[in-house]
Amino acid sequence: MSHLVIDPVTRIEGHLRVEAEVEGGAVANAWSSSTMFRGIELILKGRDPRDAWAFTQRICGVCTTVHAIASIRAVEKAIGAVPPTNARLLRNLIMASQMVHDHVVHFYHLHALDWVDVVSALKADPAATSQLAQSISDWPLSSSRYFAAVKDRLQGFVDRGQLGPFANAYWGHSAYRLPPEANLMAVAHYLEALDWQREFIKIHAVLGGKNPHLQSFLVGGMATPVDPDRQASINLGSVAALRQLVAQARDFVNKVYIPDLMAVASFYKDWAGYGAGVGNYLVYGEYPEGDEPNASLFLPSGVIWGRDLSRVASFDPTKINEFITHSWYQYSGGDSEGRHPFDGETQPHYTGPEPPYERLNTDGKYSWLKSPRYEGKPMEVGPLSRMLVAYARGHQRVQELVNGTLNQLGVGPAALFSTLGRVAARGIETVVLAEKLDGWLDELADNMGRGELAIHDNSKWDPSTWPKDATGAGFHEAPRGALGHWVHIKDGVIANYQCVVPSTWNAGPRDASGQRGPYEEALVGNPVADPAQPLELLRTLHSFDPCLACGVHVVDARRRTLAEVKVS
Amino acid sequence: MAAQGSLLILGLGNVLCGDDGLGIAAVELLDREYEAGPSVRVLDGGTLGLSLIGHIQEAEDLILVDAIRDDAAPGSLVRLSGEEVAPAVADRLSVHQIGVADLLDGLRLLEALPPRLRLVGLVPARLSWGPGLSSEVIRALPDLVSAVRAEAEALGHTFVARGDHAAPSRAGHPLARILGL
Repeated sequence: MSHLVIDPVTRIEGHLRVEAEVEGGAVANAWSSSTMFRGIELILKGRDPRDAWAFTQRICGVCTTVHAIASIRAVEKAIGAVPPTNARLLRNLIMASQMVHDHVVHFYHLHALDWVDVVSALKADPAATSQLAQSISDWPLSSSRYFAAVKDRLQGFVDRGQLGPFANAYWGHSAYRLPPEANLMAVAHYLEALDWQREFIKIHAVLGGKNPHLQSFLVGGMATPVDPDRQASINLGSVAALRQLVAQARDFVNKVYIPDLMAVASFYKDWAGYGAGVGNYLVYGEYPEGDEPNASLFLPSGVIWGRDLSRVASFDPTKINEFITHSWYQYSGGDSEGRHPFDGETQPHYTGPEPPYERLNTDGKYSWLKSPRYEGKPMEVGPLSRMLVAYARGHQRVQELVNGTLNQLGVGPAALFSTLGRVAARGIETVVLAEKLDGWLDELADNMGRGELAIHDNSKWDPSTWPKDATGAGFHEAPRGALGHWVHIKDGVIANYQCVVPSTWNAGPRDASGQRGPYEEALVGNPVADPAQPLELLRTLHSFDPCLACGVHVVDARRRTLAEVKVS
Repeated sequence: MAAQGSLLILGLGNVLCGDDGLGIAAVELLDREYEAGPSVRVLDGGTLGLSLIGHIQEAEDLILVDAIRDDAAPGSLVRLSGEEVAPAVADRLSVHQIGVADLLDGLRLLEALPPRLRLVGLVPARLSWGPGLSSEVIRALPDLVSAVRAEAEALGHTFVARGDHAAPSRAGHPLARILGL
């Protein structure tokens, strides 16, 4: 048996360490750890709740909008502010475009290299690559000349030793299975996606200003004025610009992302048999279709137990508890209790080894993440959970796309509960949302046409209008899954604040009763051809789109490098 | 040297992690004290990775302002130029895996890395969780702002001191409260 350590897991946001026991060519047991403390809670106590979003949006560089949204929703709930229709529409547009952007970037820039062998692409025949590309899509960039130029460019990076993001991978690994032509096509699209995401994210500039951090959030609504005739506001010109970006996005998703995803999946169907995980799925739901507190959600909330798609339980926020038995924290009531986020405590208590260390004490505390549980059970959150709940609840478009995907790959519904299922669900969700963006734009344009320009409920802006003591929970479906912020406001300032982020649900350690977290469970049974090059583990980990940012990124003038995999 | 095109001065870092936010504080201070000439854009890039590509692609000169690990004392000024920048950020010593290195890699892959590239920063003293700069960094911040301006001027770009009357009012902005500026 070998004990394997991946630290840090690359191509993710933040710092994740994984230890695994490998026996007979497969993972027998696994532990997931975040070795970086990031208690936003401690920073927010005593502050003005109307400022909280500006702090929370700095937790993480890829999740800026999502933490801002969850925060303003929590505060609005607590003080009773109700954002008007335009604010809801703008938020939906911001959130859904963030999702589309993140999913495409995840597929190409964070996950593709687990399936695509870049070095093999250098052996591809550009003419055969062109034939392959044209057989799966009518995307125009598909000539032999185009792929020959991409191949030359790639050869140039290799010759100059400038592989950049392609440098740190397991090229030539026996688990890579795509033919050289499919690899070259994917590399071409990797580069195109880099360019596309740069263009698409301009949606946020239109909706939130030129600053790369959206500045337009506001408790009670949005700060950007909506006015069809005014220059410095979201006007009919903005709507036209947004429509164009959305149309381009749909084109790229339908003609590049999805055909690539299906091509990759067809070579790796066995990955529908690995990475199943805990089999419980939790969704808070997202994209309100009305302004009332219990408005229906475009992607519904719900809970699926034990992979049983025949029933969906309602989501009840009171059933969430966080455990710290294996986390570097202390609770006032002892290490085995679970605490609801409203009563959450963040008392750091590091008992791990002094770095640098070989191994964590996985029998004791071994992560800075807590272990959230729903009815005491570990839950997977994210695109797969959302698509399963939507599917099981009868969301028509999701059902069409899921069934179509399963048919095209010739696999049954059980294939959904897997590493490959996560990859496919992310693609399906991207299609659904890229289609939906236009509808919200139509509504926004209609409102402008009718002179309905309200963007902010300022009746609750003044703290003197707030209850002396108030609590609120803000829920959001972030690209990586269910995100919740819980705020307790007392005498106008924050008394307690807790965030339970998607990667805490997925990447958290074992709980008081020893149940593995979703990453840990999903890794068990994964094949490992070469413990020194655990490519297979990265496939399953990346399928969750890990994000554990603390966001410290000091650069180093001394140029050291870190070993990434240790086997003992 | 004459300016050939536009310059982007990009502050980087996490304002919630002590001195990691010094790049953001420096560009905020620069923006407060000086009005940049028409060829210059000053931006707070935070810890955003790939989504900054578009902002950088529009520029021909790039000055990154960031915390820089070095053997020198905390608060020391560090300047890197051109070819020196990539190895310094490429080490992934940081916990931030999708960060500056990936950003520069992405630009290189798109053959859009600004030819005139500078990295200017300070050696951090405190990188623990929580906002607020160390006293060493606070003392050195005006020097960093001057150094950034000097690099920009050496590339042919201009600034005008705002004086008291012209400073943009950012006091109402939550970022100013996070930074304690």
